Amino acid sequence: MAIIELKDLHFSYTAEEEVINGMNFIIDDRSTAIIGQNGAGKTTFAKLLKGLLKPTKGEILLNGRSTKDMTVAMLAKKVGMVFQNPNDQIFKYQVLDEVMFGPLQIGMDKAAARRNAEEALESVALSGLETTNPYDLGLSVRKLVAVASILAMDTEIILFDEPTIAQDYAGKERLKEIVRKLRSQGKTVITITHDMNFVADVFERTIVFASGKKIADDDTKSVFLKKDILERAYLEQPDVMKISTELGWQESFLTIDEFVGAIKR
Amino acid sequence: MKTISLYVDKGTILNKIAPESKIWYVIAAISIPALMGIRWAGIGMIAVSAVLLLYGKVLRRTLPFLGVSGFVLLTVLIIQGMFWWGNETPLFALGPAVFYVEGLRYALGILINIINILMSFCVLILTTKPSDMMENFVRRGFSPRFGYVFISVFQIIPQMTDTMSTITDAQRSRGMETEGSLAVRIKAFIPLIVPVIMSSLINTKERALALEVRGFNSRKKKTFLNEEVKTAADRYIQIALPVLILAAAIWRITQWLA
Amino acid sequence: MAGIIIEHLKYKYPGTDRLALNDISLSIEEGEFVGIIGRNESGKSSLCQAVAGLIPSFYKGAYGGKVLIGDLEVKKVPVDELCETVGIVFQNPFNQVTGAKATVYEEIAFGLENMGIPKDEMISRIDGAMELLDISRYRDRYPFDLSGGQMQRMAIAGVIAMQPRVIILDEPTSQLDPQGRDEVFQAVQNLCSQGITIILVEHNMEKIAQYSNRVILLDDGRLIDFDSPQRIFSRGDLDQYGVEAPVYTQICKRLGHKMEDTGCYPVTLEEAKTVLRQRKGG
Repeated sequence: MAIIELKDLHFSYTAEEEVINGMNFIIDDRSTAIIGQNGAGKTTFAKLLKGLLKPTKGEILLNGRSTKDMTVAMLAKKVGMVFQNPNDQIFKYQVLDEVMFGPLQIGMDKAAARRNAEEALESVALSGLETTNPYDLGLSVRKLVAVASILAMDTEIILFDEPTIAQDYAGKERLKEIVRKLRSQGKTVITITHDMNFVADVFERTIVFASGKKIADDDTKSVFLKKDILERAYLEQPDVMKISTELGWQESFLTIDEFVGAIKR
Repeated sequence: MKTISLYVDKGTILNKIAPESKIWYVIAAISIPALMGIRWAGIGMIAVSAVLLLYGKVLRRTLPFLGVSGFVLLTVLIIQGMFWWGNETPLFALGPAVFYVEGLRYALGILINIINILMSFCVLILTTKPSDMMENFVRRGFSPRFGYVFISVFQIIPQMTDTMSTITDAQRSRGMETEGSLAVRIKAFIPLIVPVIMSSLINTKERALALEVRGFNSRKKKTFLNEEVKTAADRYIQIALPVLILAAAIWRITQWLA
Repeated sequence: MAGIIIEHLKYKYPGTDRLALNDISLSIEEGEFVGIIGRNESGKSSLCQAVAGLIPSFYKGAYGGKVLIGDLEVKKVPVDELCETVGIVFQNPFNQVTGAKATVYEEIAFGLENMGIPKDEMISRIDGAMELLDISRYRDRYPFDLSGGQMQRMAIAGVIAMQPRVIILDEPTSQLDPQGRDEVFQAVQNLCSQGITIILVEHNMEKIAQYSNRVILLDDGRLIDFDSPQRIFSRGDLDQYGVEAPVYTQICKRLGHKMEDTGCYPVTLEEAKTVLRQRKGG
């Protein structure tokens, strides 16, 4: 299990404006969602964690070691990140080669890379498309190829940036399953997302960012009960939760199962 | 505002006069010294451009251009000063390198010409909004499609560099090295360039559709939101400059005949 | 009249064997707000493009049947004339910025200049479009500096200024944050109240249920159903078509709570509240 610790983390591109403005928290083995408006600092945090940006002040400790002392290539072995747009990474003519690229880059041998790639493709339900050209696939399927290409790297930490964009019902269900599976394998799963229903369904912990600061951090249900915080961050409750809130019930529910179970009781 | 356009609105007269007047200025600044064939005419034009640039508050922005071309011009000065075919009269020597009067004089001519051209173009480019310049051409019968390509490049290229940095991030995130030896850089080329090409193809197709449904290929006669501005000053400039060019040509002919 | 009539529409992309649209017939009333749902690749975007005339003018391939908007047959009208009748807005606001204009105001004028609209009329149309989309205050901003929601509303304004009677929106909010998404939905509803026919593709079923008068359900290029959101989402076989009902509907389905007046399950938060209040209270 990987532990990520932010210590007085600051980042700014220009002297006038801080994008990350003094963050302190620890990400443990709970699956964690980071939510907030565009510009709140979510993507910048992801880039800092990946070493693509360096903190202007403070640091991120990965299992006790500062990411300042690690190169991007070293961090690639520890943190896998699925970017928002699959077109920003896909360059091979065949799906399998694309998914094997990451594992080979971080030093896996060919057999292991292939094994991991096939397994990853299976978990995104794309087995059978190994020899297809990724650009012959629709955007949503191409995005799952990008997900597989990160899963195949078998990193301790996996970070998703807006994974549910352009996914239909089946794609979203598939992603939820992947998050649960990674969690059960003891991996640290983090997502940045605007999709509150996705957060409610699979993430145990939720952190809210606003203007470069952490303004809430708790188990998912407790965060979504803080209406003033949500308003401040221009966010809303997951749809299931809106019902109990609107009806003014004492108890509130995150998921359909929870809701139906409680009513039937 | 992220654009590679060099134009900044400083609110001076130069920003307000029509692009066409400034285009006439460029033509005059280049053709008058050429027609007259006198070095002083070139120097005079440079002085005029410098005053205009100063007045337009963009003289400082001209300096980088002069800096870049200055390096080239220095080499011209050295090479011609030492090796021009007509060199006869040594002027001075730096160790074994001897510089001749004729070559330096020849190089000085080139120098004045280039600086003149450069500075007159700066007067146009640094004080004119690219879209105004293009609209001016389209009004005069240029193809709007050509105009679009010319203008959109200024805005879309900076956006593409953003895409490129995301692509670099995405590939580095998968453990790819992008810095270091030549071999490393060559290896990184394909993983970086293919997504750049593919995503710009995809984006271009989407943008083409979006333009299409806004009548980009319409065969109707185009209208313009911005009126063509033509002040009294413009009318005066657009008469005076051609007259001056003509005068220079006549002066040159009388010189021949004399 | 600007109702839409689609008759036996079939379409195949060049170089493929599968019918992307397979014998679709339906009609949409003027001023309706119609949602389109279905799994990815079910034909949602193709149907949009066919109504907007991009199929078959931009995308070639095999085409059969007819799309009529009012008395215009879409296939027979060049796209640059059609855009005064039907407008289309795409997913990514960024790719809809022309890149040739320095301000939002000029950006919206782009289509009008191409159509040769006289200046005075152009100004009044742009002002009207900016007001309708609530972007008047960004008038002098650089188009690429806007947020996603603002940029998408600018794209819609650019289309609206052409005064089409039908607007098609193909997943217009999927790239936006919740605030941007709400801004766009608000704006679209505003357009509908002006009598403009709206056709909207969206994966968020709660939004579809909230805004649509009727919903088109597509699967594998075929029209499965075209009915009120209540009846569409009350169907028992939705998962077969790769869609799920709004969470409100799912909950009430599981609890067996139907609406008394329609005999359907609730589809919006309001409807679910009514039903649940009655049951729980009673």
